[in-house]
Amino acid sequence: MALIEVTGLVKSFKDGERETRVLKGIDLEVGRGEFVSIVGRSGAGKSTLMYQMSLLDEPTEGDVLVEGRSTREMATEEETLMRLTEFGYVFQDYALLPDLSALENVVLPLLMQGKSKGEAEAIAARALAKVELTHRLKNLPSQMSGGEQQRAAIARAIAHAPKLLFADEPTANLDRQSSGQVVTIFKELHAAGQTIIMVTHEEEYARAAGRIVTIDDGKVLSDVSLSEQ
Amino acid sequence: MFSLANIRVGWYLAVRQIRRASLYTTGLIVFVMLLTFLNLVVVTGLLVGIVVGIGNQFKSQETGDVVLSPLDTKDYIVETPEVLAFVQGLPGVEHIAARYLTGGTIEANYLTNTGPNTVANETGAQIEGIDPSAENAFSGLARYVKEGSYFSPGDYDAVILGPQLIDRYSFGKQPGLTPLENVYPGTKIRLTVGGATRDVVVKGILNVPANSPLAARVFMPAPEVRALMQRDDQNVTEIGIELAPGADAAAFRDLLLRSGVGADAKVETFADAIPSGVQEIQDTFGAIGNAVGSVGLVVAGITIFIVIFINAVTRRKFIGIAKGIGIAGGAIELSYVFQSLFYAAIGSSIGLLILYGFLVPYIDAHPIVLPISNAIIVAPVLGTLERVALLVGATVIAGYLPARIIVRKNTLDSILGRNT
Repeated sequence: MALIEVTGLVKSFKDGERETRVLKGIDLEVGRGEFVSIVGRSGAGKSTLMYQMSLLDEPTEGDVLVEGRSTREMATEEETLMRLTEFGYVFQDYALLPDLSALENVVLPLLMQGKSKGEAEAIAARALAKVELTHRLKNLPSQMSGGEQQRAAIARAIAHAPKLLFADEPTANLDRQSSGQVVTIFKELHAAGQTIIMVTHEEEYARAAGRIVTIDDGKVLSDVSLSEQ
Repeated sequence: MFSLANIRVGWYLAVRQIRRASLYTTGLIVFVMLLTFLNLVVVTGLLVGIVVGIGNQFKSQETGDVVLSPLDTKDYIVETPEVLAFVQGLPGVEHIAARYLTGGTIEANYLTNTGPNTVANETGAQIEGIDPSAENAFSGLARYVKEGSYFSPGDYDAVILGPQLIDRYSFGKQPGLTPLENVYPGTKIRLTVGGATRDVVVKGILNVPANSPLAARVFMPAPEVRALMQRDDQNVTEIGIELAPGADAAAFRDLLLRSGVGADAKVETFADAIPSGVQEIQDTFGAIGNAVGSVGLVVAGITIFIVIFINAVTRRKFIGIAKGIGIAGGAIELSYVFQSLFYAAIGSSIGLLILYGFLVPYIDAHPIVLPISNAIIVAPVLGTLERVALLVGATVIAGYLPARIIVRKNTLDSILGRNT
C-alpha cells in the first residue's frame, strides 16, 4: 500500500467570477521510503500539489489517502494531529518562529505531542546535532544564517520521526554551499529510510531523489524513476 | 482548548514571547493596565471618600465616637451634670464636649439698614453654646478660625460664625439662609433667640467645607446661650464623647445604656447618628465611580484588543506556520490569553502597591480639601480585589478575541501571507 496517494486531485481558486484551475486531476502514489522530487516551471502547480498532499490546504475535488485512509472527510483537529505526528515540513523561507531559539523551535511540536520538557529537549538536541547545529541551540533565528535556519527547520521536521517529510523549495533561498548541505541531509535521511517529497525547480537538486515527477499546467507531465534510466 | 498539551504549549509560547518582546511595548501595555486599575479603584474610592469625608467631619466636629442627645420627649439631656460626671469617670474617654443648641437669627447692618423699603439682612442659624476650651480640645474648633481669633477666657458678647453665614464664603442665598453682608471680625451683629436679643461682636469666622456641621453655626460661650435660652439648669442639648483610638464605640454605647444613661438621653454611636441619606449618597457616588471606572475598563479592553490584534496580525505568518506544523489553534490562543493575563497581573500588582503603599495612607494623613468635604480614598481590600478580577477578566477576553480571529484564518493563507 502506498504511504500517500492522491486521486483525481483538482484545485481551483476563485477570484470573483473567474475560476483558475491550478491542478487539473492529478493521480500520484508515493511509497514508503521513497524520495520524490516534484519539479516543473514556475506556476505549474507543484507547490499547490504539495500543499494538498500535506493537508495544509483542501483540494477542490479528489482525495488524499494516507496509508489508505481518506482525508476528505477528516475533521480539522484530526488533520492537525496528522500534521503534528505523521508529517514533517520544511518551507522555502525556513519558517522558524522568531521568538524561539533553535532548540525551542524544535521542542515546541514535541511538547504538543505530549512529551515532557526534558524529553523534548533531549530529542530536539539530538535532531539539531544531526544537522550539525549543536553550537546554535540557544540562538534565535535572527542570529543564524539562512543555511543554519533551514537546517534548524529540518531538525524540527524530523525530530519526531515523521512518516513523511515535505519540503517546499528548501534550497530556493540558500547559497550553493548551504543548498548542498541541505540536499546532503535529505540524502542521508532517505538512506536511513525517511520518505521525502520535495518540491524544487532546480534540476541538480531534484536529481538527488530517486524519482522525479514533473508537473506542467496542473497535470503530471512525467513520472520518472531515476534507477530506471 | 483547555487540554493539558494546549496549556503547556500556550504557556511555553507566552513566556518566550513576553521575555523577547520589546521592553517599551510591554511597558506601555503595563502602564495602560496600571492607569485602568487606578481609574477603577481610585476614582470610585475618591467619590466614596468625599461622602466618607463628610461623615468623618460629622464625627470629628460634632458627634465624636458616641453622642448623647435629648430623648424624643425632651429638648435637653436630663440630669446632665450627673451624666457628665459618670461619663467622665469611665475609662477610654478622651474628650467630652457638652453643648447647648438652639435656633435663632442673626442680623447684620441693622444700624444702616433703616429705610422704609429695605429688607433686613438677617438669617436663621443654629446657636451653639460651648465651653470654648473643652470644645477646642474635642473638635479643634480654634484651628478652623480663618478670620479673627478664637475665644479667649472672659470673652463676653462675642461670637464665632460659620462661613455659610457670611455672604463672601457661602454658596449664596438659599431658602432659610440669607448670608450676612459686610461682616468681618469686629463687626457687630444682632442675635435673637426666642424673645431675647443681644448685640454681639463677631470675634472669628471659620473656614470649613460647606457640608461641615460647623458651617452654618453661631458659636458663643455656653453661659450666654443658656441665658438667651432663659434656662437656669445645667442640662445641655448634646454631649459628644471622643474615645481613645481603637476603642469600640458600640461597646461603649452599650455600656452607657446598661448603666441607665438611656433613661436620661438618647445614646448613639457616630454610625447610629449619621444623618439618614448619607449612606444613600455614598452608594450613589460609588455607582457613579463604577460607571466612570467601567468606561476606563472598556478603554483598556479596547487597548489590549488593539495591541494583541496588531501583534497577532504581524505574526499571522508564524501563527500559520505553527498551525501548519501541528500546533493546535487552542494552544496559540492560550498563549495570547497568558500574555494578556501577564499584562493585567503586573499592572494590577503595581497598582495595588501604589494604592496601599502610598495613596491610601498618604491621603488618609493629608485629605484632599474640597469645598464639600475633606476627601479620602476609600478602597476596601475585598472591593479592590473584585475590581482586579474584573480588570483581569476584561483583559483576558480582550486578548483572546483578536487571537481567535487570527488563529481561525486559513492556515495556508497565513503561511503564504495571502488575504482571502
